[in-house]
Amino acid sequence: MPAIADAIILKNGAKTFQQDEDSPTYVLKGVDLTIEKGQFYILLGPSGCGKSTLLNIIAGFLELSEGNLEIVTSNTNRDGRGFVFQSADSALFPWLTVEENIAFGLKMKKVPTEERKKIAEHYIKLTGLTGHAKKFPDNLSGGMKQRVQLARVLANEPEILLMDEPFGALDAMTRRSMQNELIRIWRETNKTIIFVTHDIQEAIILGQKIGIMSVGPSSKITTTYDVKLSYPRDLTTAEFNDCYRRVQAHFEDYGI
Amino acid sequence: MTTIKVEAANTKTTVIEKKKKVNRFLKSGVLGWVVILVVWQIASLFSEEMFLPSPYATFKGMIEIASDGTLFVYMGYSFARVLAGWSLGLLIAVPVGLLIGTNTWIRTILEPVINFVRFIPPLAFITLFMLWFGIGEQSKVFLIVYATFFVITINTLTGVLSISKDKLLSARSMGATKFQTLLHVVIPAAVPYIFTGAKLAMGSSFMAIIGAEMVAANEGIGFMIWNARLYFKTDWIFVGLVVLGLMGFLMDRLFTYGGRKFLARYKVVS
Ligand SMILES: Nc1ncnc2c1ncn2[C@@H]1O[C@H](COP(=O)(O)OP(=O)(O)O)[C@@H](O)[C@H]1O
Ligand SMILES: [Mg+2]
Repeated sequence: MPAIADAIILKNGAKTFQQDEDSPTYVLKGVDLTIEKGQFYILLGPSGCGKSTLLNIIAGFLELSEGNLEIVTSNTNRDGRGFVFQSADSALFPWLTVEENIAFGLKMKKVPTEERKKIAEHYIKLTGLTGHAKKFPDNLSGGMKQRVQLARVLANEPEILLMDEPFGALDAMTRRSMQNELIRIWRETNKTIIFVTHDIQEAIILGQKIGIMSVGPSSKITTTYDVKLSYPRDLTTAEFNDCYRRVQAHFEDYGI
Repeated sequence: MTTIKVEAANTKTTVIEKKKKVNRFLKSGVLGWVVILVVWQIASLFSEEMFLPSPYATFKGMIEIASDGTLFVYMGYSFARVLAGWSLGLLIAVPVGLLIGTNTWIRTILEPVINFVRFIPPLAFITLFMLWFGIGEQSKVFLIVYATFFVITINTLTGVLSISKDKLLSARSMGATKFQTLLHVVIPAAVPYIFTGAKLAMGSSFMAIIGAEMVAANEGIGFMIWNARLYFKTDWIFVGLVVLGLMGFLMDRLFTYGGRKFLARYKVVS
């Protein structure tokens, strides 16, 4: 059996936005986090607790104020991390077609046009966008747009996928099918995923491990919870409900 | 039974078609012109020709100046000056707007200056520009460059500042360098704003050139309007006004058409 390797290790991470050195207010404080390679990890917490801030730190978009972050990838890419933003409208490039959006990173890396096309096509198929390649994002539904975002990130072949409430704005039915699709893609591609959500049900449908965050300020990961259910997960089983109750109990313990 | 139904449906379609035709006529804007012409005609009946020439007298005046080609030469002059100044203005203002928009330091330094200078109208500079650049074409072209500069710069700047942070971050995380981000994200995102700025600048260009031609030119529509007063040719002034409107209208239409055709993916025209 191969040894399990860690992909992301954060030790004693803290973040403060204000410059006032004397009395800094911490958004995050004392965050410890270890994520294994290939793991589907959920960051679960109430709105405003600092989930996006933490994910942006892991992405390298924000700097830690204190602590130590280690990203382990064998990736030849710049940093091996892909980010799927909450709002596809603000993240996608509306002047590029679906195909061109997906090939953007490859174009930046000067991958030849032919190869670019082939890779884009592969991810169009993988994310279920066949037939939409020539459309512009504005002409797609919310779910389709998030598929484009996912495909665009995957085309760069990152080892780690960071996703910030990507299905938060979708209707319940689209959301369910996107969750199933994401599980399928994750199992096909073996990515390490950190998925942010404030929805307990979504956390249990998707994750192998759930990191539960406390309310801010100075929020941190108070508990981690392993979900031992097999994929695909059935919401109607007693085991699922049992999980749900237990995760909910963690929240109640911290008065959320 | 069935026949009656079909007949009813038929009458309905003709009514709808008629309504569509009326709608199309209203949307074409012809009605507005008819109203203006009628009001103008009526007003001129209560006035002298030298004070307010009728539409017909204006038309006659137009034939008069156009018959020996003078009108077209003047139009050519004014149009060429506007085109040269506006293009040059665009060429200078867009990079400046991009620079100010992308660089916080430069923005901090230049923004107060821009917000001071932009309130000085181009016409206030005519004499100075003549002093600096002579009474030839240069001073006029530069005046238009000045007239277009701020509106295009400020629009470009606004476009750059309105780009969502997510777009910039996603470009970066997909491996784009700073220059690539500028070229492939910042500029495309700012295109609709630049386009709007360029359109607004056309109006400023015409204002500036007419002023300049009135003060210092021997040809052009501004010169024609200013000169007409010497001969009490009020109809020529009206010809000038009509021609100015026409030139601006055509330029705007052409530009919009070009934008719709070649910049469709940037949604420059909604
Ligand atoms: N750039 C920033 N400057 C100042 N405060 C910020 C900034 N970004 C986030 N915050 C604050 O940090 C806290 C956590 O925000 P966020 O990470 O977006 O929460 P979540 O994603 O869990 O809803 C909030 O109180 C928010 O106001
Ligand atoms: Mg958030």
